Amino acid sequence: MAGLSDRESVVVVDGLTKKYGEFTAVDDVSLTLERGRILGFIGPNGAGKTTTIKILVGLAKPTSGSASIAGADCVRDARRIKRLVGYMPDIFGSYENMRVREYLDFFGAAFGIARTERMRRIAEVMETTNSTYMQDRYVETLSHGMKQRVGIARTLLHDPDVLVFDEPANGLDPEARIEMRELLLHLAELGKTLIVTSHILPELSRICDQVAIIHNGKLMAFGTLDQILSELEQNRMMEVQLTSSDAVDQAVTILRESLEEGTEINTSLAESTVRFRTALDDQELSQLLAKLVRSDVPLAQFRELQTDLEDAFMTVTRQADS
Amino acid sequence: MDQQHQLAGSVVFDAGYLGMIVNPIIQRELIGMVRTRKAMVLQVLLVLMFAALVIFRWPNDPTVDLAGNKSQQVFRLFGYGLLTAIILLVPVFPATSIVREKIKGTLELLFNSPMSSWRIYRGKLAGVMVFVLLLLVLSFPAGAACYAMGGISLVNDVFLLYAMLALVALQYTTIGFLISSYSNSIDAAIRATYGMVLILTVVTLGPHLLLQGHQSILTPVADWLRCASPLTPVMEILGHGDVASQGLIDTGGTPLKYFIVALCSIVGLSLWTVSRLNLKIFDRARSAGKITDELSHEQQRTRSLIWIVDPQRRKAGISRLTNPVMVKEFRCRRFGRAHWLFRILCLNLVISFVLAYVVMRKSEAWGPETLAGYLVLWQIAWILLLTPSLTAGLISSERESGGWQLLMMTPLSTWRIVFGKIMSVVVTVLMVVIATLPAYLFMMYVERTMIPQIRNVLICLSFTGLFAMTSTFAFSSLFRRTTTATTVSYGLLIAVCIGTLAIWLGREGPFGEAVVETVLKVNPLAAALSAIKAPGFQNYDLLMANWIILGSASFVAVVVLVIQTLRLTRPQ
Repeated sequence: MAGLSDRESVVVVDGLTKKYGEFTAVDDVSLTLERGRILGFIGPNGAGKTTTIKILVGLAKPTSGSASIAGADCVRDARRIKRLVGYMPDIFGSYENMRVREYLDFFGAAFGIARTERMRRIAEVMETTNSTYMQDRYVETLSHGMKQRVGIARTLLHDPDVLVFDEPANGLDPEARIEMRELLLHLAELGKTLIVTSHILPELSRICDQVAIIHNGKLMAFGTLDQILSELEQNRMMEVQLTSSDAVDQAVTILRESLEEGTEINTSLAESTVRFRTALDDQELSQLLAKLVRSDVPLAQFRELQTDLEDAFMTVTRQADS
Repeated sequence: MDQQHQLAGSVVFDAGYLGMIVNPIIQRELIGMVRTRKAMVLQVLLVLMFAALVIFRWPNDPTVDLAGNKSQQVFRLFGYGLLTAIILLVPVFPATSIVREKIKGTLELLFNSPMSSWRIYRGKLAGVMVFVLLLLVLSFPAGAACYAMGGISLVNDVFLLYAMLALVALQYTTIGFLISSYSNSIDAAIRATYGMVLILTVVTLGPHLLLQGHQSILTPVADWLRCASPLTPVMEILGHGDVASQGLIDTGGTPLKYFIVALCSIVGLSLWTVSRLNLKIFDRARSAGKITDELSHEQQRTRSLIWIVDPQRRKAGISRLTNPVMVKEFRCRRFGRAHWLFRILCLNLVISFVLAYVVMRKSEAWGPETLAGYLVLWQIAWILLLTPSLTAGLISSERESGGWQLLMMTPLSTWRIVFGKIMSVVVTVLMVVIATLPAYLFMMYVERTMIPQIRNVLICLSFTGLFAMTSTFAFSSLFRRTTTATTVSYGLLIAVCIGTLAIWLGREGPFGEAVVETVLKVNPLAAALSAIKAPGFQNYDLLMANWIILGSASFVAVVVLVIQTLRLTRPQ
């Protein structure tokens, strides 16, 4: 990727909108991604993730706005985009009666890679994805995890700068999921820029440098995971652990008196806990704790809960729904 | 827990006599079939067709036809129409029935229910048969009208015809179920079932045709074999005599023979299918990926001697000069691999030489035109069977499997993709047809005056291939599902090539020669037979009109294909 330094943005999406008749699938989405970074693209089903990705890889046209990869416009330079991007859709795209090596040979030839170079690349990508041992197996007989590996090998064949993976961890067992995570990190180490969509948020939070949360076609949050969490942490999640479930009602009454009006308080009699989200600062929270102690509420713990990507996602989508 | 027990205890099982006779599968299969738009269209079309037949052929002549010739003519046409409808429509339902459930996972649920394999099979069989009987009932008014015209016996003609057709439907349904139980995809099941139907209906007549009148131990076998075809008894019932009979050689009594053959096959096939209806049906051995390259040199040498083209040899990469899509198409076809192509070519060469031998020996008794007619039939049967099976899934199967999206992500142009795909079909069909040509060389050697006729036949074959390829390729681009594309493709080609021959059967009445000639102009098979001056087709002038019609239809198909492919390759 000549002319682009590590700091420069490889993927630039600006005001991207896609409408199907009256329905808006993607609504004014803007984001950028630097080289060698991994972007976790998350959202509920039908949020507009796949549509955005399809525009990025040149399979769909935006109604307005623009998207470019390494300076190539995703609509006007569709041919260049095909060489710059390796795309693995959520469907594998299996061909019957074809061995893995033949399958990769076909896609290599389709990308116009010369035969000798192609054979070298096939061996290389199978090595990278740890799939050499399955080279003579028939594609349709592979397990889901094996297919995902072959799918990634296929996207790497023409050595693209940007890799787009749609749900790569979907349907994988825990061991295969860990292997997949390591493979994606390895690809990022090789200097590839990755866009990964997934429903398995703990997996994404472990590998992504940046996260984009999309809901109903709108980009609800974008940035590093820490940035998103700190934005959300203006409202901290607090948990009061009681020694007896009998005291739950008493604790709730005191909390209602002290917290902002309309604060949602959740209780669990089975766990003897009370949870609430609040914007109170540390000093105000210590006063609240003191008030609970003074009122003889049998406290076991009073603590702030750590927010993870899953919480962030749920908070953002709930806010959007409300 | 107590509450759960109570809930479980409150379930009432329908285990009595009623439960035994009311098979839930019959209801589901039947309702599933009847409420589709396809079934509705099918029923309406059948009713309209039969109504038209009666309206057009109802006698308006004030004189009475005491011999009942006219009503017999109408009845024959009606009978052949019904038989064609049964042969074309019935197999698709059982062929898709088991494999569809296997793919969707509902078959596993059925096996986990208390229903036995026999009850599942019975339910499916009854579901299809009730639907078929419904189609037959729709033809009752037309059948009654034929009877009302006089000259036809209710028991010996009408009732016997319906009984025979019901038996044909039952036999083809059991064949469809068995093939469906072995198939892994719906379109493969449809292809195999129609292939088997074609063999049973037409190919079984071949040995009798060649051996009748000879004293050979194979003659009685051939005599029974042709009774596996429903054409034989139906022709006898409709008063057309025996299939390919040669005057006094006609033996008769074929309905009874067919009844015995059909009954044995129905029982045998049903038992076979029922034995497959268990959880073992899902067992599919996964290839361990064995490859010849990993064997010792001696083993490799032995394999190369046996196979010539070893299917387990590691393939060299695709050459730069070759279209990768074409190579991919060959590689991902079960019968597209070189060793299979060799087998098909050898088979065709052998048959071709056998026919050539027959030409040499029997040219005086039969005449080269008759033999050339069978050669034409054989070649067109190959084109009709092979082309849709290769072409109908070219685009639709890519869209179904998600491969189309991957192809769009490569720098291959639309033109290169389409060209590669069509070339994979052209090369295969050409190779197979070329392997059938040696018989013509012998024919030209025996009868030099036939050279222009053979040239015209070859042009007809080219147009047939072109029409079959372009139309089925267009269907492949139009339909998202390979099953639909395959069914529509076979439907169109069979309707054009075989359906129009039903009119030809009525050339002596109710249709006149002029009507028959007009209809046959669309039929490439009839055009080729008329080119070779085959018996029954010598008097028709079909060639130029047929070439223009097929050429125009192919052009329209290409236009549809181009428009649709461009639409599919454009970003959404």
